[in-house]
Amino acid sequence: MLIDMHVHPIFYGPICNDDAELENRKNAFGVWKQGPMDFEELFAEWDICGITQAALLPLDLTTTAGCWVVDNDQVEALCGMNPDKFIGFASVDPHRPDAVDVVRKAFEEQGLQGLKLNPAKQKFYPNDPVAEPIYKLCEQENKPVIFHSGLSWEPNTPTKYCHPIAFEEVLIKHPNLRVCLAHFAWPWVREMAMLMIKYPNVYTDTSLLYVDSPEEQMMELFTKDMGPMWFERCFPEQVMFASNGPRFRAFKLKRALDKVPMRDFARENLYYKNALRFLTGKGCNHYGRGEDDPASE
Amino acid sequence: MVVVKTIRHLSKAVSEFYNITEQVHGIVEKSGIKNGFVAVITSHTTTGIMVNEALPCVEQDLSELMDKLVPLNEPYLHAHFLPTYGATSNNSQGHLKSALTGNHCLFPVLDGKIVCGGAQEIYLAEYDGPQARKVFVEVMGE
Repeated sequence: MLIDMHVHPIFYGPICNDDAELENRKNAFGVWKQGPMDFEELFAEWDICGITQAALLPLDLTTTAGCWVVDNDQVEALCGMNPDKFIGFASVDPHRPDAVDVVRKAFEEQGLQGLKLNPAKQKFYPNDPVAEPIYKLCEQENKPVIFHSGLSWEPNTPTKYCHPIAFEEVLIKHPNLRVCLAHFAWPWVREMAMLMIKYPNVYTDTSLLYVDSPEEQMMELFTKDMGPMWFERCFPEQVMFASNGPRFRAFKLKRALDKVPMRDFARENLYYKNALRFLTGKGCNHYGRGEDDPASE
Repeated sequence: MVVVKTIRHLSKAVSEFYNITEQVHGIVEKSGIKNGFVAVITSHTTTGIMVNEALPCVEQDLSELMDKLVPLNEPYLHAHFLPTYGATSNNSQGHLKSALTGNHCLFPVLDGKIVCGGAQEIYLAEYDGPQARKVFVEVMGE
């Protein structure tokens, strides 16, 4: 079992019927020289590395760019086509006046299972009061939030909004909210590690491949940027497999991670168990902390 | 006269040799061109067009030779973020194997058929799959 917790379905064929919309998506997201793909091509790649499910992430840029990079309705439609394979997330622009209503609809009517926000692209600090009602709703509905964190390649994305330390007050204020700071907050890996040690409700993922080959970057991440035992010893329930498709190819990251030394329990956590905990809140025992996740049933 | 057709193929593995011989012969025979040339050209830079004997042992030897010549884990320069793509390049192995293989092959056409040796089969060589691939078959003549 392998769950890819970070996929942007920008080029998924069934939602690529409008050329102008696709062009807007590409320019807003900052990805070019790729085109629509059908599910057969997508699943061929899944099959060679064993991916069984993937979290699909939209992004609402209503007030900052006047568009979405895939909207909630499109994610709902894609999930309806492959309900066993796709885990649909919602997004919302925190600045829009109906933000809470959009999120409530996504959770209660559209069956979406979490929320994706990108503070750099959506222009808000994570601790901005404008986002508070959204966080409270996610806590009430037991839905996790994935934030973009660290380097963002998307155009017009000041990194100051996505430094991992900018999220700390949210973690303090919302100890029951499961939060993923994606991409290991690269290049701030040690700050990310610090947050995971300190806050059991924060997660991260492996979707970074900015400077080297997959083998080199994953080995650097798990054995040099961090000490080689940090993941297993300190936060084995807080790191999830993710690819950030279409920026990085999932099977190459999986191939590279397979070569990183780690115990079997840690690898199982990395490849799917942590994703299941993050998504549901069930089974969180906060490794070595002697407490249960308050959100679990 | 010139006739151009496209062969489409979804590769299902990182590396594979996909035999397109029958498709190319079929395109030539349906083209209406009696005498001339046929060119088979890949539209990608991490695939190749190869002519060889379609035996599993030959395919295996070719595959192993390619991996020896172009290993996966070498300090290639083409392994970094590419601004023009918004994605990371990490397929140097595919590019180099493609360069060694070549992007096309050419056969004479006589009396409406390809002229070739009995062991000459045409492959689309995939080196960075799985991906949807295109091969152009251009028949030129009269």
